[in-house]
Amino acid sequence: MPIEVILPKVDMDMDDGIITEWKVASGDRVRQGQILFDIETNKSVMEVESPASGVIRDLAPITGEPVAVGTVVGWIDADAEAGASLAAAAERTRTTSPSAATAGIDHATSSEKRAASVEGASVAPSDSIRATPLARRAARMLDVNLADVAGSGPAGRIVEKDVAAHAGRAPESPVASDDRLVPFNPVRRIVAQRLTESAQRAPHFFLTAQIEMSALQAALRGPQGLRAAPDRPRASMTVALAYLAGRVLALHPLLNASIEGDAVRLHARINIGIAIDDQGDLFVPVLRDASTHTLDDLAHEFERLRAAVRARQIVPDDMRGGTFTISNLGMYGVDAFTAIINPPESAILAIGRTTDTPVGRDGQVVLRPMATFTLSSDHRIVDGVTAARFIADLREAIEHPEGLS
Amino acid sequence: MPTELVVPEAGTRELSYAEAIREGLAQAMQADERVFLFGEDVGVYGGAFGVSGDLFHKFGPERVIDTPISELGIAGAAVGAAITGMKPVLELQFSDFVTLAMEQIVNQAAKIHFMFGGKATVPMVVRLPGGSGTGAAAQHSQSLEAWFAHVPGLKVVQPSTPHDAKGLLLAAIDDPNPVLIFEHKLLYKTKGPVPEEPYRVPIGKAAVRRAGRDLTIVGSSIMAIRAVAAAARLAGENIDAEVIDLRSLRPIDLTTIAASVRKTHRLLIVYEGVKIMGIGAEISAMIAESDAFDFLDAPIARLGGADVPLPYNPVLEKAAVPQEDDIVAAARRLVREGRA
Repeated sequence: MPIEVILPKVDMDMDDGIITEWKVASGDRVRQGQILFDIETNKSVMEVESPASGVIRDLAPITGEPVAVGTVVGWIDADAEAGASLAAAAERTRTTSPSAATAGIDHATSSEKRAASVEGASVAPSDSIRATPLARRAARMLDVNLADVAGSGPAGRIVEKDVAAHAGRAPESPVASDDRLVPFNPVRRIVAQRLTESAQRAPHFFLTAQIEMSALQAALRGPQGLRAAPDRPRASMTVALAYLAGRVLALHPLLNASIEGDAVRLHARINIGIAIDDQGDLFVPVLRDASTHTLDDLAHEFERLRAAVRARQIVPDDMRGGTFTISNLGMYGVDAFTAIINPPESAILAIGRTTDTPVGRDGQVVLRPMATFTLSSDHRIVDGVTAARFIADLREAIEHPEGLS
Repeated sequence: MPTELVVPEAGTRELSYAEAIREGLAQAMQADERVFLFGEDVGVYGGAFGVSGDLFHKFGPERVIDTPISELGIAGAAVGAAITGMKPVLELQFSDFVTLAMEQIVNQAAKIHFMFGGKATVPMVVRLPGGSGTGAAAQHSQSLEAWFAHVPGLKVVQPSTPHDAKGLLLAAIDDPNPVLIFEHKLLYKTKGPVPEEPYRVPIGKAAVRRAGRDLTIVGSSIMAIRAVAAAARLAGENIDAEVIDLRSLRPIDLTTIAASVRKTHRLLIVYEGVKIMGIGAEISAMIAESDAFDFLDAPIARLGGADVPLPYNPVLEKAAVPQEDDIVAAARRLVREGRA
């Protein structure tokens, strides 16, 4: 059962104190009444005793800065046996309950049982932690353990900004350094795990093509901007490319496939994931049935997905089931790049910026808006010619987007 | 049933809160001969706070009726008139005297429609000048609106501006249910833009008087006015307060409050009635029960009237109800320290 170690009020007019020395280290076993740390007030230096026996952890760092009275400066997992093993506490509850029931009036047994169940109930760390509902919500979303967060609110209450600060804060390090060690958040953890797997297991090869964008640009810039009504979102270049890629993928099933054991699953549906960044986190929401929806519908759906990502309310279902992925870094001025396949898909299309480039047309050198497309394919599924045919059809679709609707 | 509730743009013409109510009364009486006004001194004298003014001379003694000093009698007569098809608007000189009319309002007006299986309606409007600040002592200064907000079958509104005073009055007269309008004595002389034509302010719809990010301050009547003034001062300290003027206590616009709390993460409720067991407790509980709960980053805070009969001494009287300074200080603590 974790017990707060707070900075106590040792003088009538004391608002804060400076921790000058910890007499114990994190992980030490302490007993109730033992001196834990010294605090310096504006009058004197005082020793602070341990409120309980157990194992102390999460000691506040010695910063030389005043700490408000009531701030939690450490935690004691009281009764090391219980703290060390949830199972033991639960076990005790289980074993004592029936005996208490049979003993009926056995006073010692029933009080033991009460102690055990109180312990069992409050071992769940958040029970004894002061935190606002918003802070708890933020902790859930950022996968932060509130027990590790120092609260800045009244009586050490954790507020939302404490959780946010913690999520981006380095743990105490014995080596003085300006480096920051930022733990992976859940999004980053998944990205790291999946892309490592893809890079290590899928034999990637890359085909690059420069494609003229003038016709598609003209179509998107038209009076309607390819939307059904003025209140509908305009289709962006990324969405238009997803739309066209969807049409082309319908003709190239191996590019819309995934490996399953010793077989290739050719997906009936064409669900295109779009890689988007939000404050440094990578999300790949999925435009479902991209080959059968209108461009306007896709633009609308993409707008919804992007808003959900920004609000951090995107649900796993919106990111599942992708069969092909598009990553566009053109808006950042990237000319061309290669992408790692989003597993278990068989290919990913990396799009660079559109820039006026000298090209030969009818024996003349002319400037045309060109963009570089790089297709990464999984050679276990896709051969060079298969990928090249896809690129050829994609070029045709982009350079002649007349059917766009 | 009320037809369409249309609120025209407030023009540049300004009226006082009392004048706006008088204009609303005149327009309602003009438009519908079933509407009549009665109460103590509403006729020849023009009303204790001058609200009815010259209406007696415009509409005559059959439609602007001076009554004996019997709140129970006035309220009972109004209930009877309403059941038989009239649309009475009665004025209780001070809202405190409503205690005498409790039986007719709570046990009769609120219940008759239900007791008679919907066969009768009680389209009456009760105007109640309330609030403190006039040095009128404990029996003439109370804010009792929460009592009535607790009774199913009654609607309770509390306008803060001349515009809303007229619009809510006309909406109340349209309404087939008994509606209590708590007017604030200190607001009668305040001025603001009021459209000339008749218009309605919807009952049950709050107004966001100021948009902000850091906390939500909810109030009604004069507390909404003080909250807006407090928010302007808080802006100078880089605290961006959103101010919601409830306008109606029943029905209450929880949707607007909850949406605001989800945005600002902090809620301060300000009301003149006694803090304990009051409007603030209800709003606080509603928010705690709603899905806005997960968005709170500080305990919900209430500023309400002191738990005392209102003092006559003007310094103590002021100290007993939330003032602008109190709202500024509470909002500042809530944002900066996470407690009010």
